[in-house]
Amino acid sequence: MEMLIYLVISILLAVLPLVVRTERATNIIAALFFVVQAAGIGLILGFGLMDGVMLSIFRADTIAVVFHTLMTAVLGFVLVHSSSYLKAERISTRSYKAYYTLVMLLAVAITCVYYSDNVAMTWVFLEATTICSAGIIYHREFQQSLEATWKYIFVCSTGIAMAYLGILLLSTVAEHGSLDYASMSMAIVNGNPLYLKVAFLLIVVGYSCKMEIFPLYTVGVDANYAAPAPASAFISTALVNAGFVSIYRIYALYASAEVFEWARHVLILIGILSLAVGAMFLRRTNNYKRFLSYSTVENMGIVAIGMGIGGVALWAAVFHVICHTLVKSSMFFQVGIMRHIYDSYSINRIGNYMNINRVGAVGFILGTLVLLAFPPSPLFLSEVMIFSEIVANGSWWLLAAMLILMCVVIYAIWSRTLRLGYHSNQDELHLSAVNRRLSYSAAVLLVVAIILGMWQPDFLREAIDTIVNIG
Amino acid sequence: MVLSLIILYVLTLIYLSIAERFRNHTTILAIQGLLLFGIAMARLHAFHPVEMGFIIVETLIFKAIVIPAILMRVIQKTKINRIHSSSSQFGALVMSIVALVASCTITYYMADNRTDMIFFGVALYALLSGLILIVMRKRIFAHLVGFLVIENGVFLFSMAIGVELPILINLAIMLDILISILILGMFLRRMDDDIHTDETDALTSIKD
Repeated sequence: MEMLIYLVISILLAVLPLVVRTERATNIIAALFFVVQAAGIGLILGFGLMDGVMLSIFRADTIAVVFHTLMTAVLGFVLVHSSSYLKAERISTRSYKAYYTLVMLLAVAITCVYYSDNVAMTWVFLEATTICSAGIIYHREFQQSLEATWKYIFVCSTGIAMAYLGILLLSTVAEHGSLDYASMSMAIVNGNPLYLKVAFLLIVVGYSCKMEIFPLYTVGVDANYAAPAPASAFISTALVNAGFVSIYRIYALYASAEVFEWARHVLILIGILSLAVGAMFLRRTNNYKRFLSYSTVENMGIVAIGMGIGGVALWAAVFHVICHTLVKSSMFFQVGIMRHIYDSYSINRIGNYMNINRVGAVGFILGTLVLLAFPPSPLFLSEVMIFSEIVANGSWWLLAAMLILMCVVIYAIWSRTLRLGYHSNQDELHLSAVNRRLSYSAAVLLVVAIILGMWQPDFLREAIDTIVNIG
Repeated sequence: MVLSLIILYVLTLIYLSIAERFRNHTTILAIQGLLLFGIAMARLHAFHPVEMGFIIVETLIFKAIVIPAILMRVIQKTKINRIHSSSSQFGALVMSIVALVASCTITYYMADNRTDMIFFGVALYALLSGLILIVMRKRIFAHLVGFLVIENGVFLFSMAIGVELPILINLAIMLDILISILILGMFLRRMDDDIHTDETDALTSIKD
């Protein structure tokens, strides 16, 4: 019942901007929407609803609550930054309202993915995120956003159709048509190994368009490129996490299956290929938003490898996703502020940012260092844990491949960041757009990530322990 | 009865691989919707009003009427007529036959005793046919048709492995797909208006 109330209120608030007249009213509704999300989490934690089944298809387990909390935190910043971003773009009130409606609907769809306790319903809500994202990607209404939107809907829909095929194969093990994860994890032991292998491949490949890993990562990169920067922050974190949670639930389901070892090898292969793609395109791209998107591909590749290795690396993979959410959203917000100063995302043309907006430049450079896993970055911790587990497993070839690829990534990211900070600028400047308050607010997420790198509170450790307890 | 419907379904897939006009593609999709309705009804073991109602909505209304109507409207608005003139029909037919043989072979090795081998093979052939359409054709509209062929293949596949999902979940899945197709149709028209193109070769402005 609680979930139904939450969904009804959230959806009503999401569509309400379409009937109000002003941008101010839209902002108030967005603030209310944020409060409802926070209240929902508070209700689950404060009133003993943890692990309770809701509406037969949702369950408030630890992974759902952790990622819903993260999404809500990022959403608060997205709503604030979007307001400034859209005002600077001088868009019509109608577009402003439509944008907020779509972002809020996307948040509802993502929340449903997190809480979904049914293999088929996870698929349904993931497809719903495609529909909501499409409007956001097309929001700027230029030729490339149209192209990105078409590719996004088409590839996601086709990919997710493949994932549905995998779900159908997987559901052959279901007893009495019960598709909840707990029942299926017990029934999967008796599954046909060949069916289970094909199902895992199809589901992971289909969901890869959401988690932005190999092979369908391209549409996510294009989507981040075309969408407004604050929305890219949301797509590149909350939506990517929805892909991660969906794949993680399947992974946990397979833990009791005969083919689990094989599934882990598939994840390692996908992870290393994602890392390679990220390293290659981080060197090639000439656009800061695509640059950050390829960094997401690279980081999710590391997460897939962590899942494939298992043990301590699995703990590290979950921790990596949590911290990546904070760091990457912060960096997308900084890039959104940059866009209004330079009116461009071009890596080759813009520069001298340290003298133009020192707060923003420091935020971006610090973000880069955290992203590159320099201590006290939390990503340093997670990557060291993954490496130690790889060494313990004796997979030296994997360690060597990862280290080589990560050297390329460090060189590509660091050289481009220095270029932005200190090279001469070749584009026209709009200095009136410098907004230090926004730069400071974006840095808050980064500071939280750095604190997590130095000190992980007990509740977070326990939450991750519970999430990785899949045996 | 079911076998003859399945054979007809295979024939529609072969014809789809060589059809040139998009109106014919749309008609074939409507026929496939009708055939799927017949197959689903023939496989109903007993009279369940809710299940029957759902089959009618999903196949007869959704696949045989609504989707073809959306596609026809897109054809009228964009005035696209036929697949690219440089496309080889012979090559497409050969690919289609290869896909059919591959489907039979894979089915032979994959299907277990709980699976209906004929359904499994035809569903696989439908999936491969959809993918071939997407890969071999340059026009965006053909890609949309390929996606719908895949969706029909998935429907057949669910019958092949005898999975019966709850009606509510089926309904949610159907709505998701319908909205996706509506949005795809809308964006296809917008691309025709704004970029003046209906070919995938023109969609290369985003690159690194």
